[in-house]
Amino acid sequence: MTSIDVQALTKEYGTRRAVDDLTFTVRPGRVTGFLGPNGAGKSTTMRLVLGLDRPTSGTATVGGRPYATLHEPLRHVGALLDAHAAHGARTGRDHLRTLAVSNRIAARRVDEVLEETGIASAARRRVRTYSLGMRQRLGIAAALLGDPGVIMLDEPSNGLDPEGIIWIRELLRRLAAEGRTVLVSSHLMNETASFADHLVVLGRGRLLADTPMREFIDARVRPSVRIRTTDATALKSVLAAHGHDAVEHEDGYWSVHHARVDDIGRLVSAAGVPILELSAREGTLEQAYLDLTATEAEFTAQPQEA
Amino acid sequence: MRFAPVLHSEWIKIRTLRSLLGTLLALSAVTTAFSALAGVSDTSEPEFDPLYTAFSGIIPGQIAAVSFGAMAVSSEFHGGGLRLSLAAVPQRGRWFAAKLTAVTVPTVAVALVTASAALLAARAGLGSAADGLGTGEQVRGVVGCAVYLTLMALFAAGLTALLRSGVATLSVLIPFILVVSFVIGDATGGATDFLPDKAGQVVLYHRHDGALGPWTGLAVTALWTAAALLAGAWRLRRRDA
Repeated sequence: MTSIDVQALTKEYGTRRAVDDLTFTVRPGRVTGFLGPNGAGKSTTMRLVLGLDRPTSGTATVGGRPYATLHEPLRHVGALLDAHAAHGARTGRDHLRTLAVSNRIAARRVDEVLEETGIASAARRRVRTYSLGMRQRLGIAAALLGDPGVIMLDEPSNGLDPEGIIWIRELLRRLAAEGRTVLVSSHLMNETASFADHLVVLGRGRLLADTPMREFIDARVRPSVRIRTTDATALKSVLAAHGHDAVEHEDGYWSVHHARVDDIGRLVSAAGVPILELSAREGTLEQAYLDLTATEAEFTAQPQEA
Repeated sequence: MRFAPVLHSEWIKIRTLRSLLGTLLALSAVTTAFSALAGVSDTSEPEFDPLYTAFSGIIPGQIAAVSFGAMAVSSEFHGGGLRLSLAAVPQRGRWFAAKLTAVTVPTVAVALVTASAALLAARAGLGSAADGLGTGEQVRGVVGCAVYLTLMALFAAGLTALLRSGVATLSVLIPFILVVSFVIGDATGGATDFLPDKAGQVVLYHRHDGALGPWTGLAVTALWTAAALLAGAWRLRRRDA
């Protein structure tokens, strides 16, 4: 089993603790979303796993072994850390060739991953002519090169166009379905919610959560129910009679917080309140995340990067 | 990991950067052209040394050699490129050795051809002024010139790994080479004889009096290069990528 194991991992830069006593495991067969505000330690953790930075204390292993001891590591672990890592003066294909050759990966894999990531037509162009989205695809191509069992991607959807975002979502789902270990960092909540099964959340280098995504949301955000009616007075009274509090919104609908649609539907129907619309509002990852990090975030009210 | 695939990868990296190939071409063109020019200049000065005149093109030419060494390493240092390289080859010492081998081999080859061409070009102009040069001496000059240029390229490669910047390396080395060669000039004796470029260039002289001979001079340059490479390797191994 190839999982990523992080044990009591700590990394200090001077006096600042970028990663603080972190322990978690990323398991195969599911997509693990790696969340946290900027500066929370996500990228540092990934570099520590790859043996690029040395931990102050603790260990990080892949399949039970430190990364640096892996024989031909690209066959075991594929990583995208920075879309700008490819030299601008090299062609995309040559960039991948240098990586493939060093790990004795067959040359045909270079063409395969170029096809798979949709940049085959640009393969013989210099990387400096690539858009950010194409660079991301090239970085993902490099990560897939050795057909690795473990894949780590740092903000892979940065700069991707809408088609690209759908593509990466399906790619991540497929990689996990093939039994690979997939760790994807992001600060885009809706994006992460669309592909992650499991979440590891960091704040100021510390582990804030390590739970399945659904549980994470349900534990933090109570569902609510959205109703539209022609008889507001009747609706309010029947809800009040059962201890529910309805809030009216400007565009004419009501929301009932901390309530399930099954209960509210029965209540209003039994009372004969005319209903135009009735729907469940599930909690979103964004709400759950903001609830969790409200107290922890280094930069509160951090704007979402596009 | 085996060394050969890593070396192959580093060789592809050099081959696929046009700027690096351009630097090698410049090394060859500049050295040969300046040696040819020196060959038709005044040969009546008392300081005239036919062998050094023939190889004087390396004074500007070595800047290209130094640039090649610096750029081959500095191409790893932008945009997190080094991280990608070290993720592929986590044994940093092995990776650096492969990088240096991939710098050395083309430099030696180009420098040997260049030195031979420079000598021939200069001799065409020097005519009888070069008659005093023996075959052994000329072979020593060609080989010495190639070794010297290679050591300077590696010196720059080591310094770049230490400073983590090609710009920093070149802005230290190029003024250094120019200052030592043109300002201190022919003043011999003392500590300047042991500077990497002065010491290594002894091998290019027909007559030279100083503390160092042709091969001991190159050995001094080699020590400088070894020191720079060790410092670069140390920084590479110690530091977070």
